[in-house]
Amino acid sequence: MSFLSLSYFAFFPLAALGYFLLPQRGRNLWLLGCSWFFYLCAGPAYFPFLAGVCLVSYFGGRRLEETRRKGLLVFCLVLFIGMLFLFKYLNFGMETLSRLLALAGLDWSPMVPRLLLPAGISFYLFAAMGYLIDVYRGKVEAEKSFVKTALFLSFFPALLSGPIGRADRLLPQFDSRHEFDAAGCREGFYRFLWGAFKKLVLADRLAVVVDTVFAGPGQFGSVQVIAAACAFSIQIYCDFSAYSDMAVGSARIMGFDLIENFRTPYFSRSVAEFWRRWHISLSTWFRDYLYIPLGGSRKGTGRRYCNILVVFAVSGLWHGAALSFVVWGLLNGLYQVVGAVTAPARNRLRAALPGGEDGALVKLWQMGWVFLLSTVAWVFFEAGSLTAALAVFRGMASPVLWVPPLSGMGMDRWEFLAAGVGFLILTAVDWYSTRTDPARKLAESPRWLRWVVSLALLLVVVVFGSYGSGYDAQSFIYGQF
Amino acid sequence: MKRWKEPLWGLAWVAAAALCLNFAADVLRPAHTDYGSTWEAYLCEPEDSIDVLFLGSSYAYCDWNPGAMYGASGLTGYVMGGSEQTPGITYWYLKEALKTQSPSVVVMEGTSLFFDRYQNYTQINLGYMPWGMNRVRAILECAEEDKKLGLFWDLWFYHDRWKELTAADVKKALLPAGADHLKGHTAVDQVFQQTEGGPFLSEMRQSEEVYRQNLEDLARIARLCADNGIDLIVTINPTYSQYVPEIYERLGEDVLVSRNVRFINWSDHFEEAGLDPAVHLYDGGHLNQAGAKIFSAWTGERLLEMGYAPREQTEENAAAWKAAAEYWMGRGS
Repeated sequence: MSFLSLSYFAFFPLAALGYFLLPQRGRNLWLLGCSWFFYLCAGPAYFPFLAGVCLVSYFGGRRLEETRRKGLLVFCLVLFIGMLFLFKYLNFGMETLSRLLALAGLDWSPMVPRLLLPAGISFYLFAAMGYLIDVYRGKVEAEKSFVKTALFLSFFPALLSGPIGRADRLLPQFDSRHEFDAAGCREGFYRFLWGAFKKLVLADRLAVVVDTVFAGPGQFGSVQVIAAACAFSIQIYCDFSAYSDMAVGSARIMGFDLIENFRTPYFSRSVAEFWRRWHISLSTWFRDYLYIPLGGSRKGTGRRYCNILVVFAVSGLWHGAALSFVVWGLLNGLYQVVGAVTAPARNRLRAALPGGEDGALVKLWQMGWVFLLSTVAWVFFEAGSLTAALAVFRGMASPVLWVPPLSGMGMDRWEFLAAGVGFLILTAVDWYSTRTDPARKLAESPRWLRWVVSLALLLVVVVFGSYGSGYDAQSFIYGQF
Repeated sequence: MKRWKEPLWGLAWVAAAALCLNFAADVLRPAHTDYGSTWEAYLCEPEDSIDVLFLGSSYAYCDWNPGAMYGASGLTGYVMGGSEQTPGITYWYLKEALKTQSPSVVVMEGTSLFFDRYQNYTQINLGYMPWGMNRVRAILECAEEDKKLGLFWDLWFYHDRWKELTAADVKKALLPAGADHLKGHTAVDQVFQQTEGGPFLSEMRQSEEVYRQNLEDLARIARLCADNGIDLIVTINPTYSQYVPEIYERLGEDVLVSRNVRFINWSDHFEEAGLDPAVHLYDGGHLNQAGAKIFSAWTGERLLEMGYAPREQTEENAAAWKAAAEYWMGRGS
C-alpha cells in the first residue's frame, strides 16, 4: 500500500479516526492492528518475518535487561544480520565468490534459490538491532509490553522505508495520550502534500529523463547525459525525502513525531555535512552502532579514515546487493577522507578570499561542489552495475554535445518547463526551511492563507503530477531497500 | 460547538478542494460534441420534448440524423449512443436519459448485441455521463477494471492536458452548454469505394456467453421501456458490414423473447430507403452524412406509419427544430 494510493487514502483516515476515538488503553493495539494490516497489504508472505523480528526483539530485550549477556546480544544480532544476508545478499555473495574463484581459475557456479525479499526488512531489522543494543547498553529500558515493542518496529508510517525508529525517541510516545490537535493535523497534512508534490511533480517526472538516458547513454550528447545525472540527484532527493515527508506527516496527524530524515542536504558545504543531512536516521544509526564501536575518531587519524570507509562501504551494501552500491558508498567515504585531509589547506584559502569563510559566493561554490561530487557518486547508484556506470561516464565525455530532438530524452518541452518550475519551487521552499519549518509555519498562519496555499498545492500536484493513464507509476526508490 | 469548529472547517476545506478539483476536471476534460455520448447537449433539450430516442453504437449516431427526420416527419428525436457502446452501457444511458425525456418510442440499433463484453471506448461512453447513481452503477458494472479509477476521477485520464489548454477549454467549463443542431448525430462525409462485391458477411465473433449477457442487457432495456410505457424497436440499419442471414434470424427470435419489443432487419434495405451503397456509405458499416439524411427521413416516415405521432412542442422549441431541419437540408446532399 503506497502512500500515494487510493487504498492508503482510504486506510489512513480510518486508522487515524479509530486511533482518536478509542480509549487510551486500546489505541496501541489498534495502531498495531492497522500497522500489521498495512504490512499484510505489502504481501502476506512477508508478515511472518516481521512478527518473528518483533518476538525476538521483545523476548531478547527483556532477557538482555535481566542478564546483560553479550552472548545473547550477539546471538540476536547475528540472527538479524543472518536474515538480512539470506534474503538480500546471498545471491550477491555467491556471485561475488564465484567471480573471485573464476579469477583463480576455479569454475564454481552455485545454484542459489531466488528468495523473496520481505518489504521494509532493512528498515525494521535496523530498528530492532538498535533497540537491542540500546537495551544492552542500558540506554533504554526493555519494553514490558509486547504490543508496544511490536508497534515500535511495525508503526506503519515508518515501516516500509523509514525513518528508522530509535527506541528512546519513539517508544515513550506510545505511552502518552495524543489528543486530536488541529494544528498538528494541519501540519502533518501539509507535510504529506508537500511530499506528494516532490514525488509526483518532480521525482517521477525526472525519472522519465533519467531512465531514458541511463538506458542508452551512448545515444545522447554529453550535455544530455550530464543533465540526466544531475536530474537523478534531484530525483532521488525528491523521491526519498517525499517518502519521509509523507511518513512524518502521517505520523504527525496522529500526534507522533518521527525523526526528520532530511535537512536540505544539497545546501551542505561539505560531503561530511551532506551525510549529516541526508537519510539522517540511517546515518545516525551507522554512527551510533558501527562507527563509534569501531573506534570512531578516538583511535587516531588513520583509523578514523578507515572507519569512515568501512561505514560507507557497509552503507552502500545496505542500499543494495551489488558492487555498484559498494563503490557508491566507498566513493562517498573517500570524499570525506579527502575532504578531511585537504580541509586545513582549503580553510586557509577560503579565509584569504575577500568575502571570508562564509561569503555567499564561497557557500555557493561549496554547495556546487557537493552537488557535483554527489552526482558523480549517484551515477553508480542509479546505473545498477559498474559497466553501466562506466557507460554513463563515457557518455558524459562524449565529443557530441547534444543529440536532437529534446523529446528524445523522454519528455517534451512542456514537461521540462514543469520540471524546471517545480525545481524552483523546491529550491525556494528548501531555502525557507533552513530558517523555519514551512509546514508548521503554514499551519499557524491565518486561515485564508492556509487555504490558498494548500488548495494551490493540491491543484498543482493533481494537475502537474506524473500519474494516471499515460504515465508509468514509479514506486519509491527506497522501497526496494 | 467549539470542539467541532476545527473538524467542521476541515470538512469545509474538503468541500472547497472538491470544488477546485471538479473545476480543474471540467477545464481539462476535452470538449465532446459528436461521436456519441453528447450528454451536455442532450440535457439542454427541453424536458419531455423528444418523440424518438435512438440508442446504440456508432451505427446509431452516424446513421440517424434527428434534424433530417424532423424535416420529413415532424418527429423530434435524439441519438444517445456511444462509440462501440455495449448493451450494458446502453441500459444505463436509457435510464439516465429518461430522467429528462419521455419518448414514445426507443429505437435501438442492434449491432451492439454482437459486441464483446468490453469494447474500445468505455472511457468516453461512461466518462461523459452525468454524475449520479446511474453513472456509478454503470462504471461498476460495465467498465474494465483498469478504467474504473479514471471514470470516477476524470483527472486521472485528463490531467496532463494542461499542455494543450486553450481559452476555449476554460470558457467551456465556465459557460453552460446549449442545445445544438446535431441532436446526437455525427455527420461523416467520405464515400466508401469498395461496394462492387456487395455486403461483407461474417459469422458471430463473440462467445455465446457474451451474446447471452448482451441479450440479458437488452431484456433489461425492454423492461425499462415497458415500465415507462415506451415501445422498443431493435433495428439493424442498412450496412455492408453484415452478419450471415442465420445470425439475424436467430437475433430476431432472441430479441422477441422480451415483450414489447419489435425487431426490424433493415440491413439490406438500401433500395427501399432510397440509399445507394456506392454513394451513401461512409465505410463498410456506417452511412455517410448524405445517407444518414435519407435514411433518417425514411425512418421518420416508417415511424409515422407505425402510428407514432409528433407531440406538441412549444413555439420556441418548434422553431429550434425547424432551424435544425433547415440546417441539415442545406448540407451534405
